Amino acid sequence: MGLKTLDKISAALQSRPLELEQLRKEGKKVVGWLAYNIPEEIIYALGLIPIRVGQGGDGRLVEVGARHISTKNCVFVRQALGQFAEKTDPYIQQLDLVAIDATCIQLYRLEELINFYFGYKTVVLGVPRNFATKEGHEYFRKEVEFFTKKLEEFAGVTLEQSKLEEAIDIYDGIREAIKTLYKYQSLDNAPLSWREVSSVINAGYNLDRAHYLELLKELIVEAEAKLSEPSRRREVEARIFLSGSLIPPGDTKLVDIIEQLGGRIVGDDLWSGLNFFLNLEIKEPTPYGVADAYLDRVPHGSLPYLDLKSDGRLANLKHQLQEFGADGIIYHTLRYCDAFTFKAGETKEVLGKLPFLEIHTEYSGSDFEAIRTRVEAFIEMIKSKKEIAELV
Amino acid sequence: MSFSYNYFAGVDVGSLAAKAVILKDGDIFATGLLKSGVNSVESGLSALNLALDAAGLKKEDLTYIVGTGYGRVSAPYANKAVTEITCHAKGANYLHPTVRTIIDMGGQDCKAIRIDEDGAVVDFAMNDKCAAGTGRFLEVMAEVFKVKLDDLGAIALSATDTVPMSSTCTVFAESETISLVARGEKPENILNGIHHSIANRIAGLFSRVGIASDVFFSGGVAKNTGMKSAIEQALKVTIVRPEIDPQLIGALGAAVIARSFAKKEGLWA
Repeated sequence: MGLKTLDKISAALQSRPLELEQLRKEGKKVVGWLAYNIPEEIIYALGLIPIRVGQGGDGRLVEVGARHISTKNCVFVRQALGQFAEKTDPYIQQLDLVAIDATCIQLYRLEELINFYFGYKTVVLGVPRNFATKEGHEYFRKEVEFFTKKLEEFAGVTLEQSKLEEAIDIYDGIREAIKTLYKYQSLDNAPLSWREVSSVINAGYNLDRAHYLELLKELIVEAEAKLSEPSRRREVEARIFLSGSLIPPGDTKLVDIIEQLGGRIVGDDLWSGLNFFLNLEIKEPTPYGVADAYLDRVPHGSLPYLDLKSDGRLANLKHQLQEFGADGIIYHTLRYCDAFTFKAGETKEVLGKLPFLEIHTEYSGSDFEAIRTRVEAFIEMIKSKKEIAELV
Repeated sequence: MSFSYNYFAGVDVGSLAAKAVILKDGDIFATGLLKSGVNSVESGLSALNLALDAAGLKKEDLTYIVGTGYGRVSAPYANKAVTEITCHAKGANYLHPTVRTIIDMGGQDCKAIRIDEDGAVVDFAMNDKCAAGTGRFLEVMAEVFKVKLDDLGAIALSATDTVPMSSTCTVFAESETISLVARGEKPENILNGIHHSIANRIAGLFSRVGIASDVFFSGGVAKNTGMKSAIEQALKVTIVRPEIDPQLIGALGAAVIARSFAKKEGLWA
């Protein structure tokens, strides 16, 4: 039986668009944001409502977006543009401002486009390419300072240290809770699945963060109660780790295929998944402190390798693969998502002998069977290797 | 004195052809091969019946059947379904245990497969979702030149020159070919260019999985001598020739796997 708190989170999500509408009537403002380095803590501390936007998996919206850009631009960006163009998404309808960071250049261009074509009010946060250097940090500190100033003007209030401290506490709590849930979903007697954790993460981007943290705490208590139940014997399973381009809400194709074929997803290093919550330690509750913490965490794939041997993304990937006991990695790349397609070959070589499958796809069903064959063969490969290992 | 044998079948339904192989204990006993129809279940059954007729057997005589190819997802006649990647690996290993690399070119896809000494897949890569470098691509080219598909390779090998083909998209390659013919290029030189263009594309797949000897070529396109030669040049390898029709390797592998499943499930000692 599923966890009851998951239903509660689902219900909270259902009523959220109406709740937002009401809050806006009361004078609250909603900030839609996208990418990897937007410091949500600052948005929240200013009394604004942060909502992460952008969905995947809808070929029709991709076509709508492609009316304004090339069909050779990232498929996620095309769909996001389609969403902003159509404005039928209940969250997009509630946006007063859109904040996008320049971690991924194509997403940064999205900001220009929605402003140019559809008149959305936008703000951009610059992200340095040389993120590990002193100069990179200085640049990002100034960017976050400027970003804060812009938001202060928009909110009509000044950022208070106590409010920022409060926001940081909430976000720290969320990060810890998500890490705990990831750990639980990978266990033999997992009380919930990777897919469920992923839904919980996506729900959280839309809910009120303080309320969300309460729900997460409740979910963990319920999950821990299940952990004490006797572990059931699992058959030889293929424990799959997902890497590569983001898998946003709505894009279920690959996950569906893996699960239909009996594979079990046990972890990821996606920027739409676990990576977002890792290694973010705000040592000083100021915009500068927030800037440093964001820049020092696991780097996004769009940022260059500054030193291949000590690259934080690869080091984190290796660590997570071990942590979650992965048997193989499915490296998922979206069509024209340059950052991750460029790094696919290198990532495979760096990981050495671990079974590695690259899946290149987009938001249409035309490649469903082709992906199915690849994933099925990959799972056969892993299972046969494990069966032989068990016999020896 | 009476003998009791066990029979195992593999049925491979691809986009262009359906194939079946029956093993009598451990030996190849009968085969069936025909063009696939729209209904993949019927195509698979027809290929299986063809092999059964050749063997003088009935379906009930078979201990275990494994389905493979794109038709594996709807193969009610089979006990189990296994992907063609695993099946080609087992089929190649059955014929040549020293094979470590397989190039499989079928009707609608192309695969680079690396295997170990037991015929287990250790890595693989497949072409992207387009017809370039597949049997269907070559069929289109044969239609453009109004020649038989079976003669395509030999014509390419008779070329005195190689006309570079810049497009690997089937639709664009067709129009590029027509332009080259209009420009006065010789058909055999154009065909030679087409074969080399496909071979170079396949070499790209191997940059992902690597190459180790022996190298084996399976699938319907493996019958094309011009393609074999172009791939040998592109990959700088010598390809091992199978003793049986290379189009049957997937079905053979499926039959070998059927035998293993039967053993595992206690149906055959």
